[in-house]
Amino acid sequence: MTDFSIIGKPIAMVDAAGKTTGSGKYTDDLNLPGMLVGRILHSPFPHARIKRIDTSRAAALDGVVAIVTGKDAPNPYGILPVGHDEHALALDKVRYVGDNVACVAAIDEATADQALELIDVEYEVLPAYFDPEESMKAEADLIHDNKPHNLEKDYHHVFGDPDKGFADADHVAEARFIANEVTHAAMEPHSTLAQFEIDSQTGKRGRLTVWSSTQVPYYLQHKLSLVLEMPMAQIRVIKPLVGGGFGGKSEVIPLEIIAAIAARAARAPVKITYTREEVFWAHRGRPRTIIDLKTCVKNDGRITAVKARVIQDGGAYCSYGVVTILYSGALLGALYDIPNIQYDGYRVLTNKPACGAMRGHGTVNVRFAFESQLDELAAKINLDPADIRQRNLLQPPCVTVNGLRVQSYGLPECIEKVVERSGWKQRKGKLPRSRGLGIACSHYVSGAANSIIRSDMPHSTVNIKIDRDGGVVVYTGASEIGQGSDTMTAQIAAETLGCSLGRVKIVAADTDLTPIDIGSYSSRVTFMAGNATLRAAEQVKKQIAAAAARKMSCAPEELIFRDDSVFRKNGHVGTAAFGRPAEQGSSASVSGRVEGQILRGSLQQKRKDEGPKDWMTFEEAVVAAIDFHGALTGTGSYAPPPEARGGKHKGGGVGPSPAYSYSAQVAEVSVDEETGEVTVHKVWAAHDCGRALNPVSVEGQIIGSVWMGMGQALTEEMVWKDGMLMNPGLLEYRSPSSVESPEVEPIIVESIDPEGPFGAKECSEGSLAATIPAIANAIYDAVGVRLHEVPFTPERVLAALRAQRGQKKINLTEGIDPTAPAKFREHGGSLWFRGKGPERHPLDPARREGPAEAAGGD
Amino acid sequence: MEEAVGYLAKHDLGIRVLAGGTDLIPSMRQGLFDSEHVLDIRHIGELRGIRPRPGNGVEIGALTTLAFIERADFLRRHYPVLTEAAATVASPLLRNMGTIGGNICLDTRCLWYNQSLTWRKGCGFCIKKDGDLCHVAPGGTKCWAAFSADTPPALLCLNAEVEIASASGVRRMRLSDFYTGEGDAYRKLQANELLTRVFLPESSADYRGVYRKLRIRGSIDYPLAGVAVAMKRSNGYVADARLAITAVNPAPLLVKGVTEMLEGKAVDEALAESVGVLAAKTAKPLTTSALTPEYRREMIRVFTKRAVMAVANGN
Repeated sequence: MTDFSIIGKPIAMVDAAGKTTGSGKYTDDLNLPGMLVGRILHSPFPHARIKRIDTSRAAALDGVVAIVTGKDAPNPYGILPVGHDEHALALDKVRYVGDNVACVAAIDEATADQALELIDVEYEVLPAYFDPEESMKAEADLIHDNKPHNLEKDYHHVFGDPDKGFADADHVAEARFIANEVTHAAMEPHSTLAQFEIDSQTGKRGRLTVWSSTQVPYYLQHKLSLVLEMPMAQIRVIKPLVGGGFGGKSEVIPLEIIAAIAARAARAPVKITYTREEVFWAHRGRPRTIIDLKTCVKNDGRITAVKARVIQDGGAYCSYGVVTILYSGALLGALYDIPNIQYDGYRVLTNKPACGAMRGHGTVNVRFAFESQLDELAAKINLDPADIRQRNLLQPPCVTVNGLRVQSYGLPECIEKVVERSGWKQRKGKLPRSRGLGIACSHYVSGAANSIIRSDMPHSTVNIKIDRDGGVVVYTGASEIGQGSDTMTAQIAAETLGCSLGRVKIVAADTDLTPIDIGSYSSRVTFMAGNATLRAAEQVKKQIAAAAARKMSCAPEELIFRDDSVFRKNGHVGTAAFGRPAEQGSSASVSGRVEGQILRGSLQQKRKDEGPKDWMTFEEAVVAAIDFHGALTGTGSYAPPPEARGGKHKGGGVGPSPAYSYSAQVAEVSVDEETGEVTVHKVWAAHDCGRALNPVSVEGQIIGSVWMGMGQALTEEMVWKDGMLMNPGLLEYRSPSSVESPEVEPIIVESIDPEGPFGAKECSEGSLAATIPAIANAIYDAVGVRLHEVPFTPERVLAALRAQRGQKKINLTEGIDPTAPAKFREHGGSLWFRGKGPERHPLDPARREGPAEAAGGD
Repeated sequence: MEEAVGYLAKHDLGIRVLAGGTDLIPSMRQGLFDSEHVLDIRHIGELRGIRPRPGNGVEIGALTTLAFIERADFLRRHYPVLTEAAATVASPLLRNMGTIGGNICLDTRCLWYNQSLTWRKGCGFCIKKDGDLCHVAPGGTKCWAAFSADTPPALLCLNAEVEIASASGVRRMRLSDFYTGEGDAYRKLQANELLTRVFLPESSADYRGVYRKLRIRGSIDYPLAGVAVAMKRSNGYVADARLAITAVNPAPLLVKGVTEMLEGKAVDEALAESVGVLAAKTAKPLTTSALTPEYRREMIRVFTKRAVMAVANGN
């Protein structure tokens, strides 16, 4: 049945007005009586042993209530079970500039800041590592003692017979690609408020409540329990409104634990909100990635083998690193039909903030390399870039050579649509000078088929309660972070129960009230929490149908639930036939509760006495069911099916998903050949989301992905000098502004997944990865230079253009590259302060006299 | 006014002036100024507004907002280079608050300076604030922080003068004498003085004008390089021209020799190119901001060439 009344319609987010009017509450908006402000002392050194911390002078300051250090919470934690390498506050070592050392809880921010200056810390500075390839050679002064050569993890996968694939090929392309480090830059900085209650029976310290801007309240509850040594049942995590996550809040961030430790020590509620600089230090963004890629094709364009060696500069802690490096390899599969794959992935530790999960987790940088190289090969064999992609399509349903099960596959339609809408066939190659078109594709998981903590537990569970007031309350652990999870949940519940959207109330992400959901990450919520909602609603519907069927003297199967009423199928179409208004206003605006109360009076009783009928209102049907059962409840859960959980090889658990989304994009750009500036004029972006439950929301996600991808492609980059982040703010870290945002034409493709809720898949991440190579390929089309390093800043583009023309080489790019020295040179405050600073790195442009010899290249 | 300069005289070591506050407030939060007092001059009405003085050019109050300047018809008609430059500053919201006086007095900028106290501890501070070394020119004793405002190069092209007031009276100086060329003590304004007015002479009126700004984003960003040109033509030949650059030195600078190079000539691509080469020689960018110094100097050349062509061809 495709005749839906709620889903498939553009619907405003259920929390939209709260956000636009300011009445909605984010964590930092919350205040409690007696609340203190927490401020954190950060390390000025990239790698140092803490020899002594003296907090006595700070503690003596008026207004300071408590000071906590690593000793106050010595248990290690980390988001992955294999990566418990973090302490909320450093125990013995600091590992990056910005690492957390101590926290002051004081009556106000100014006092806390003043106190930070009074904490004396004695450090023993250690050699530090900033470049992953250098770091991998380390023998001594390791970042973590149990990680030889500073290697967090490496994987070596061989699928099919790559050597044979290379031998069979007619053409080979091989190159090194580099994607520099980027971060999420969510609008809302991280914020946490923690409060311990007094146990009302014993008077001792009791339960802990934490309000936090998080994508993963249940993981937070779990890690708090681990670090604070409290049972999980004694900890309540509540997620207020969240102003964007993009992966940056998809694990436990130090302040979340620090706030709790500080509240425990201060015996008062403590709130910590990061400054923007602290957000950059907390990071967990996309790592700088070095990709050595080799792709082989036959003369007809068929790919015979791919070999990738990927090095990720992971920063000082594991975070999601092991998963990231696995995604980078696994997601070489499931987009095209690649018979032979060799993958070598290295996740390396360096003395910089930890990288983690970021929109398009693991796939984005490798996709940039792959799609760029595919274009090069297409040019070699004189094939249209759109055609080479069409010649390598999968034939689903199938399982890829690396064990990924693909069912619904809208990629062919995505390519067709963008080719058609962009006028590709007519315009490609015929645009004026310096203007070009580029195409690229991408895909992403609709949730990981295996959860981080391996267990047979469902990934999502949803409860529904309907009481006599006719209101439908949905309890879900899914975290609304601005992506529309609450709206999606309400839509699925309302569609299934045939009630109006206004009747549905969502209670979400409160560990005391809502059943466990593993969180908002890896684009899993619509697929998994959506399926759980669907199942819970169907369970409740069954109970209502049984009661209604008795009243209507028919079988429950004969009933249709729609437009706030229940009626019999036979012969009647639509509700107007039953002599009641088909529309109760725009149903979304009617409060179910008010209606219910009115109906509970005489009208309801009157209709009840009338005897058998051929339709009932939703409230009547509910009341009929409640007369039997008491309040109606239903529960539904979702666990990915075993056949979608991937191969048995080491690391095979990452990459498998119950369903994949697909995207194809065409970008139109122009390049200023004198300045190297790239302007993106328009992007046509087709995305296969299975089914668009809320088309306006899907379009928003596509546009957002393109925009974020364009940021990484052109302007965003974390710039490092010897472990110092040179641009820890939104002025110097340049996300695009509205001025350079191109027109984006989103095109929704619906492949109707057999297992998704109403056929839906993910739509929030998969589009991002296609944008970067689409722009790269468009630049190539415009001016004929192939860029191997992202972002394509004007200096990199100009250097490439000059090299192409054989013009005099000027060193345009060295300065912005992380020209990290091999070893940390005595760098910290005191020595430099006395003027005994080290020599600058020989490549530092500040040292250079006149034009450099090296080509700008890219 | 009297009250204001009185306060300045009283607290001359520990006071900062707040006009628009768009640069002062973030900088104070970063601990770049540790003055005890802030003097809020926003409500001194006499320092606001544009007053044409027939025969004597125009007088602009220091508190006139950049948005007001951008929209002023009189300036657009007679001093268009200033209109163009003002329109590129930061973003519309910031132009509503930022003032012309503040833009002229804008603190020089450097990636090693415009950072939080915690951050600067990590790098060991620098000459400009709390330290004694320079990270962009190691071994140097001079501060190279870049002057990064947009309107001063336009004002230099117009031979602007500024009025400076203190408890002991009022003085007037050429804007080109206002800047020192040092990154730390970058302007000749004592702590007890207030910049009150800008004067644009009648002799600079009705010059064509163009401002070209290098930035990564089309909004918000400070200039990474900037070129202003003012030109008067007669019968297709250049009668007079001045060109100034910004964001590539510790001061905005008039490029010497431009007038001589252009005077009496018809502008063509080759001539514009040589002006560009000249301007690029004047630029001494260092690693004080995003994009490499080499690239920024190259862009001074390209932008100069384009600005000269644009102004000669009537945009």
